[in-house]
Amino acid sequence: MSDIKADVTMDLKGLACPLPVVKVSQQIKKMQVGQILMAETTDPGALADFPAWAKTSGNEIIDTVKDGNVTKFFIKKLK
Amino acid sequence: MDKEKVLELEQVIEKKLNRPMLYYLDLCTRCGLCYDTCHAYQGIPKKEYSPVGRAEVVRKVFRKYFRPTGKFFPWWGDAREFDENLMEELREAAFSCTGCRRCTMFCPFGIDMPYILGIAKELLIAYGNAPEELVMLADGAVEKGKSVEMFKEGYQGVIKDLEKEVQKLIKAPTSEGLIPMEKKGANILFVGLSGAHSIIYPAAIFNAAKEDWTLSYFEAVNFGFFAGDSEKANFIANRVINEAKELGVKEIVIVECGTAYRIPKFLMGPLPFKVSSIVEVIHRYIKEGRIKIKEGVITDPITWHDPCQLGRNGGVYDQPREVLKMLAKDYREMNPTREYNWCCGGGGGLVALDNEEFRIKTGKPKKEQIEKSGAKMVVTACENCHLQLSTINAGYGMGVTIESFTKLVGENLIV
Repeated sequence: MSDIKADVTMDLKGLACPLPVVKVSQQIKKMQVGQILMAETTDPGALADFPAWAKTSGNEIIDTVKDGNVTKFFIKKLK
Repeated sequence: MDKEKVLELEQVIEKKLNRPMLYYLDLCTRCGLCYDTCHAYQGIPKKEYSPVGRAEVVRKVFRKYFRPTGKFFPWWGDAREFDENLMEELREAAFSCTGCRRCTMFCPFGIDMPYILGIAKELLIAYGNAPEELVMLADGAVEKGKSVEMFKEGYQGVIKDLEKEVQKLIKAPTSEGLIPMEKKGANILFVGLSGAHSIIYPAAIFNAAKEDWTLSYFEAVNFGFFAGDSEKANFIANRVINEAKELGVKEIVIVECGTAYRIPKFLMGPLPFKVSSIVEVIHRYIKEGRIKIKEGVITDPITWHDPCQLGRNGGVYDQPREVLKMLAKDYREMNPTREYNWCCGGGGGLVALDNEEFRIKTGKPKKEQIEKSGAKMVVTACENCHLQLSTINAGYGMGVTIESFTKLVGENLIV
């Protein structure tokens, strides 16, 4: 469990490559700086893909919570 | 556009002007035979979506800077200089082509249109006008390559969870060690995608075949290649090649991803290991009696969609068909097929772009040939194709099932 309150949540479970990162990227563009997006995914590759995307796109993953085979990423828009 | 930028873009073209490229750029007689061979032109019959229409945008700028007639008499030499409009046309040309090379099969001179569009893509990278999504995905993949040590522990934890799924599929007594990682000297390094399904089913098949294998830390897909950025494309491809060399494997096996197969197989020069598609490996295991599948288990009519990079550009045609004919009672061939098969319209990274309406329209020839086959299930072995076929299926309300080849085999193993 995470205490972080997300402004937007996205269910990306079971999506085919490369949609999880593409959809998160599209969504974060619509949000305000400082807002938090929570993305749920079942992709094992997301454990590396999301932090790598966050680093190159200038956003921040402030928490990662694993719940069974679902991983929740809390992403803060920084710019 | 300022002179400095123009000079930079000229140099981008110059670097690409090898012998085949000059041949392809100079030789077209504009016979127009390629028009009807392109699925995009079939769906949207405009010149800019025809193979020659796309290539002409590149040819015009090539003539302007590299051919005397274009340089000194541009109105006579049918030449154009760099400007904003031209860059926009180059973008439309490059990213409305899936790189399927169906047009090349029909061109009397065998002109490789996607090869020409490689110039357009490099120009867009240099100009900063390449599709943002592809650049972002390529940057992420490069970053992952640089920081892999940071991600290893988390990834291993998730893979442990997947082992339980594999255990269920093959009814193994324990899940321990069903997805090995970093195994030095293994026969096979398997390269999957981000999705769990791309690992679970191959893992079940490798275990059923008692293969000595190990899983890569990286995803097979190469967004640097889709974006047309050769530097990033090489870096991304070399992540897996270096991993395979360090582990000392004999073979790398690529997940259901056409481009991911074609790049190490044909574009990275001689490698100290074999490169195979998971489709070839499954076929090999069945022929060698290492795995057994339920024969005749599928009663509805099924068909096979050749991913362009696996079939037309990769030469893998017979293996999936032989396996599907074992699994299904009623296998049907689409028409045209094999090297003349219609592209689904999703390749070249197009499925990552925000262009669903375009892809539904340009998927029309594929939709029609599926319907004519009467198949209720379309099987393929490329994640891009799977996604695009699913988009066409929903977009036209076709009501067929789109299925992954590896998943179908994995679910029908006799264990």
